[in-house]
Amino acid sequence: MEHLNTEILARLVDQTPQPEEAAHIAECEACSAELEAIRSQTDALRSLPEIRPPQGDWHGLEARLRSEGLMNDPGRFRRIGLAQTPGWMRAAAAAVLFLSGAGAGALLTSPEAPESLGDLAMPSSAATFATSTSVEAAATAVRVAEQNYVAAITRYQQLLISESGVEAGSDPMSRMAALEYLATVSQAAVRQAPGDPYLNGFLVSVLGEREATAQLVASRSNWY
Amino acid sequence: MQEISTGPSESQLIRLAADGDARAIRQLYDRYSPRVYAVVRRIAGDDDLAQDYAQEAWIRAIRALPTFRGDARFSTWLHRIAVNAALQALRKSETRKKQEGPVPEQVLVAPRGGDALLQQRLERALDELPYGMRRVLILHDVEGYTHEEIGDTLGVTSGTSKSQLFKARAKMRDMLTALDGAAQESGAEAWSI
Repeated sequence: MEHLNTEILARLVDQTPQPEEAAHIAECEACSAELEAIRSQTDALRSLPEIRPPQGDWHGLEARLRSEGLMNDPGRFRRIGLAQTPGWMRAAAAAVLFLSGAGAGALLTSPEAPESLGDLAMPSSAATFATSTSVEAAATAVRVAEQNYVAAITRYQQLLISESGVEAGSDPMSRMAALEYLATVSQAAVRQAPGDPYLNGFLVSVLGEREATAQLVASRSNWY
Repeated sequence: MQEISTGPSESQLIRLAADGDARAIRQLYDRYSPRVYAVVRRIAGDDDLAQDYAQEAWIRAIRALPTFRGDARFSTWLHRIAVNAALQALRKSETRKKQEGPVPEQVLVAPRGGDALLQQRLERALDELPYGMRRVLILHDVEGYTHEEIGDTLGVTSGTSKSQLFKARAKMRDMLTALDGAAQESGAEAWSI
């Protein structure tokens, strides 16, 4: 009998041979060895490992998931663990940074930070903005601004608590006054840069918080 | 005794991911992307196509997550989506990109045994197989599908699946023998099965 061809041997890896095929394999060393080789090849295929995707694969997928609305951004405050920070306080911290450029942010975060809110004087000069010369420099500036912003919130909260002895924001009338001030400032800022998404978001946040506080004040008329 | 912190369970991750939670999606990706990428890479036979197919597979899976009821294991469900995404994408492309030059180095993870040289040669031979044979060989011998499952997936009879499989194994054997001969001639480490 002639040797069995490779395709027949490939079938015999997991199928029962015909009697004549079995008889041939029992007698033919070459066919027996070839069958064993194909069996080993099949076993090796079954043991192939997983393959790590190339670098950058996740970023491409992430961008597409976001663009298709399949993935939510957890939000800056959730990411940094400040989700419970009242909106008006975030607005206050942002206003401090906005009004003073790096100056007040540095004040709030530096070792020589003011001991009380009264010591925190708002600079009267217009905000100073660094002009970025490249995308990289702009990205760095944004990161630094965000870090200052977060530090400012924390420090601002500490100052409020140390002055009032209770959790910040417990006096709705003071909040209302602060929010009125912030609303005026942020409306002016939006007029300066109407297309700026950050400023617009900030203004919306302040107006929303002002509305909520106004309702709270109205619902507690016995305070008057 | 050190306290062991446990993260969310897989079912929790799946629920969160179905709601679009970025962290949950990332954790599922980290856990399963090597498996997803491996199967689409082998079906595609090409790195660039594999990235596209893997991305498509993940998009489909995340989109379909709200319908995942847990009747099958998540890994099995995801794997089926990946296979179908890759096969459909390949069908759509009229001509498959022919690989030129040496096979790019792949980062293989979690080897299940066997040596790296053998695995590298197997991957190379797989890439060289004609598409029709390759997809059946991958589904059957690598992924463990039955001929009936392959028939359902590819829209062919189980007889066709068997016939393609035996041809593919024989072709692989020929290619691996040739690769082994070439390696011996060039003085490289000989390898044989």
